[in-house]
Amino acid sequence: MTTLDSGAALQHQVPRNRMLNVVRLQFVNTQTFIWVPALVLAGSWVLSIMIFWIIGGAGVTEVKAGGGSQAPLWYFLAIGIQAMTMTFPFSQAMSLTRREFFLGSLAAAAVSGVGMSLVFVLLGLFEQATGGYGINGYFAYLDWVWAAGPFAAALAYFTATMFFFTIGFWFATIFKRFGALGLTIVLLALGLALVGFIALVTFQQAWPAVGQWFMATGALGLTLWAIPVTGLLAVGSYLTLRRMPA
Amino acid sequence: MNSVIQVRNLTKRYKDALALDGVSFDIEQDAIYGLLGRNGAGKTTAMSILTAQNLPTSGEVRVFGENPYENARVLSRMCFVRESQKYPDDATPRHAFAAARLFFPRWDQGLADELIDDFQLPLKRTIKKLSRGQLSAVGVIIGLASRAEVTFFDEPYLGLDAVARQIFYDRLLADYAEVPRTILLSSHLIDEVSNLIERVLLIDAGRIIMDESAEDARALATNVVGDAAAVERAVNGREVIHREGLGRVASVTFLGRLDGAERAAVVADGLELAPVSLQQLIVRLTQQRSGRDRSTGDAFASTGSDADTQEGSLR
Repeated sequence: MTTLDSGAALQHQVPRNRMLNVVRLQFVNTQTFIWVPALVLAGSWVLSIMIFWIIGGAGVTEVKAGGGSQAPLWYFLAIGIQAMTMTFPFSQAMSLTRREFFLGSLAAAAVSGVGMSLVFVLLGLFEQATGGYGINGYFAYLDWVWAAGPFAAALAYFTATMFFFTIGFWFATIFKRFGALGLTIVLLALGLALVGFIALVTFQQAWPAVGQWFMATGALGLTLWAIPVTGLLAVGSYLTLRRMPA
Repeated sequence: MNSVIQVRNLTKRYKDALALDGVSFDIEQDAIYGLLGRNGAGKTTAMSILTAQNLPTSGEVRVFGENPYENARVLSRMCFVRESQKYPDDATPRHAFAAARLFFPRWDQGLADELIDDFQLPLKRTIKKLSRGQLSAVGVIIGLASRAEVTFFDEPYLGLDAVARQIFYDRLLADYAEVPRTILLSSHLIDEVSNLIERVLLIDAGRIIMDESAEDARALATNVVGDAAAVERAVNGREVIHREGLGRVASVTFLGRLDGAERAAVVADGLELAPVSLQQLIVRLTQQRSGRDRSTGDAFASTGSDADTQEGSLR
C-alpha cells in the first residue's frame, strides 16, 4: 500500500470555542496584554500633562497637543510581536491549528484594542468638557482625529491598534520563519518601495497634491483606508504562519 | 488491528540534511510504542509531522484516517509536548494546566492534581524559572492528564531524577490500564522503558530499521559466550552483529534464534546462552549500520546529526 485513503474514520466533532479559548490563552500574558500597555498609556499621559503644564506656566495659552498619545498605540507593535513569539509554540502543544491560533490572537488584540480606544475616547470627552484640563492641553482629543465625532475617533484609535498589532505579528512571523536575514530583506524591500514612492512624488512635483489628499481625506477617510490595508496585512501574516513549523 | 496512524513514504528534507527518508509505518490503536533511535535519527521530526507541528517534504500521513494538517478534528484528539517545549513568558505551571484543560476534551484534573503532588511541582513559579526536571514534569503532566487518544512523549524524562522517572513510568502504566490509548514514547533510556513498551519502532538515519513487538524484537538476536572455536560452530554462518574476545573466550551476538537441537549442541559444547536486552540489540544494530555506512561512504550517519540541529533550531 503506497497511498492512503481517508474517510473510513469516525467523524468526530471539533470541540467548540477553541478560537475563543485562544483569547484566554493570550491573556495569560497579562503583562503583555494589560499591564505594560496600561503603564505606557498612564506614563505618556502623565508626561504629556506635565509638559502642557510647564508650557502653560511659561505663558503659552493656545491649544497644546503632543505626540505622546501615540506611544500606547505604537506599543501594539510589541504586543503583536509577543503574541506571536511567546504563544505560538505553546499553541502547538495545545494541539491548535495555525488558523485557530491566528484568529484567536487577532481577537485577543481586538479586546485590548477596544479597551485602549475606550480609554482614549473617554479621556477625549473629558478633555473636551474641561477645556483640556483647564490648561488647554489635549492628550486624546485631537481636533483632526475627532473631526467626525467620538465614534469616528474611537474607530480611528481602534484601527490604529489593530494596524500596529498586525504589522508586529507579521514581522515576528517572518523573523521566526525566515530568520533575521529574511526579515532584513523584507524591511529593505519596504524601505526601497518607500524611497521609490518619495522619488516618484518628488519628480512629479506632486507633494502639494499628496498633502491635499491627506487633508481632504481626513482622519475618518484615512481610517477607512487603513481597514482594508490592515486586512491585507492580516491575510499576509496568516499565509506566512500557515506553513510555519512550530 | 485498527491503525490510528498511517505513514507512507514520508520524507523530510531540511536545507542540508535528510531527516526522514521515505518512511512508512502504521501505529495501532491502544498500544504503547517505543520510538527509539540515536540523537538526530529523526524521532522528533517524525512526531512533529504526525502532529502537524511540522510539514513533510513529501509523503502521506493519516491520523484517524485524515490528514492532520490544520485539522482541528484530528488535532484535538492528539497531544504532543516537545522535549524543549516553549511556554508563554509569564506563564506558570498553573496557567499551562488551565490552558490544557481548555483544549484537551478528555483532560482529567484529578489526575493532574495527583501528578503535581507526585512531582512536587511549584505551581506559582513562572515556567522559565523552573529547573530542567520541573520543566519536564510540566510536559509529562500535560501529556498524561490530557488523556488524548494519541499521546506523544519526546524524551520526557530530561532532568528528572530516577525517582521521578519511576513515578512517570508507573503513572503511565496505571493510567494506560485505566484509560487505554495510543502512546508513542521516544527515549534513549531503552533499558528503562523496555518493560513499558509493547512495540518497538527503531529509527536510524531517517529510516525505520525495526518495527516489531517488543517480544519479537528481543528474540531477534542470541548471545553465546565460551570457547572461541565452539562459539564459531554455534554461530554457524549467521549474521554476527557484535563480537568480543578475550584470549580463547569469545562472546558473540548474532541475529536469529537457536532451535532445540542447536541449543542442545551449544550446551554440550560448554557454551553459555545469554539473553540479549533490547538496549544491547538496538545499540548493536545501529552501530553495525553506521559502521557499514562509513565503510561504503554513505552520508546518512552524518546527515542525522545535522537534521537534529535543524529540528532543534526550529523549535
